[in-house]
Amino acid sequence: MADVPDGIVLKRHRDLEGRRNDIWVRRALMSLVAVIPVLALFNVFGQRPDTHVLVSPAASLKIYAPSRLRSGLLYEARFHIRARQTLKDAYLKLGPGWAEGQSINTIEPSPVSEASDNGRLSFELGHIPQGKSYILFLQFQVNPTNVALGRLQTVELDDGKTRLLFFKRHLWVFP
Amino acid sequence: MDIAVRALVLFAFVFLLTRVTGRRELSTLEPFDLVLLIVVGDAIQQGLTQDDYSVTGALIAVGAIASLQVLTSWGSFRFGWLRRVFDGQPIVLVQDGKVLERNLRRERLTVDEVLEQARLQQISSLQDVAWAVFEPSGGISFIPKQ
Repeated sequence: MADVPDGIVLKRHRDLEGRRNDIWVRRALMSLVAVIPVLALFNVFGQRPDTHVLVSPAASLKIYAPSRLRSGLLYEARFHIRARQTLKDAYLKLGPGWAEGQSINTIEPSPVSEASDNGRLSFELGHIPQGKSYILFLQFQVNPTNVALGRLQTVELDDGKTRLLFFKRHLWVFP
Repeated sequence: MDIAVRALVLFAFVFLLTRVTGRRELSTLEPFDLVLLIVVGDAIQQGLTQDDYSVTGALIAVGAIASLQVLTSWGSFRFGWLRRVFDGQPIVLVQDGKVLERNLRRERLTVDEVLEQARLQQISSLQDVAWAVFEPSGGISFIPKQ
């Protein structure tokens, strides 16, 4: 047999004694790495939109927006209001969780007015006749340094001073 | 602070990735592998600095990565067990012209790939090889028979 090269220990480097489990450690770690994209397929890290439908005798509201995001993402939130009865002066009020750490790039159509309602974003949508729809599109971008672990987001639909619908959810923003 | 933390996380992730994917991927830099490396580098860069175009941001990112690199190499130098974890260990692939199939399988190497590497070192047959060792760097070193 040829001389064993310096630095090579046959038991360890040829027979792999004491290294039998190394391969399994490597496989386990590789599996962990592979789990990340698999979880992503199941929307764990966003940004697939969720749909929530709220109904009251006066109106229905469909909210279509992702609740799991990653920093830097551009995304859309859509609020579809359908008047089951005539709404004389509809207001959509979004909690501060909708604006925290996010740029609101566009609001279409532009509301009649915008104001603060005790810290919430209050959009006056105006008159919505019975049976008609009003769809409000908001385009956002998440601040690249923003991280959120279950930030509260609320949505309220009012007709004048009367609350018609209220909804709350939690937003996750992954770094 | 944000960039330094991102640098730490990404450094650890890339380090883990290069260790667990195996040396085979590192040793064979085919055109496709080269493209993949560039794509991975680009993806990491975006996650590292994101929309920060400042010189300060670049200094933080590069400084953090350089420091981590020095820290890991110092750890490897100082502690033998850490060197085995960080750098891996050599594996004997051929002894006295005999291919050790089990060790090849472990590193997902084929005999053809070993032969290719042998030819690159002007060795026409594995029968002429006393030792072939798969090094932690990803290369195969051949020691011909006397």
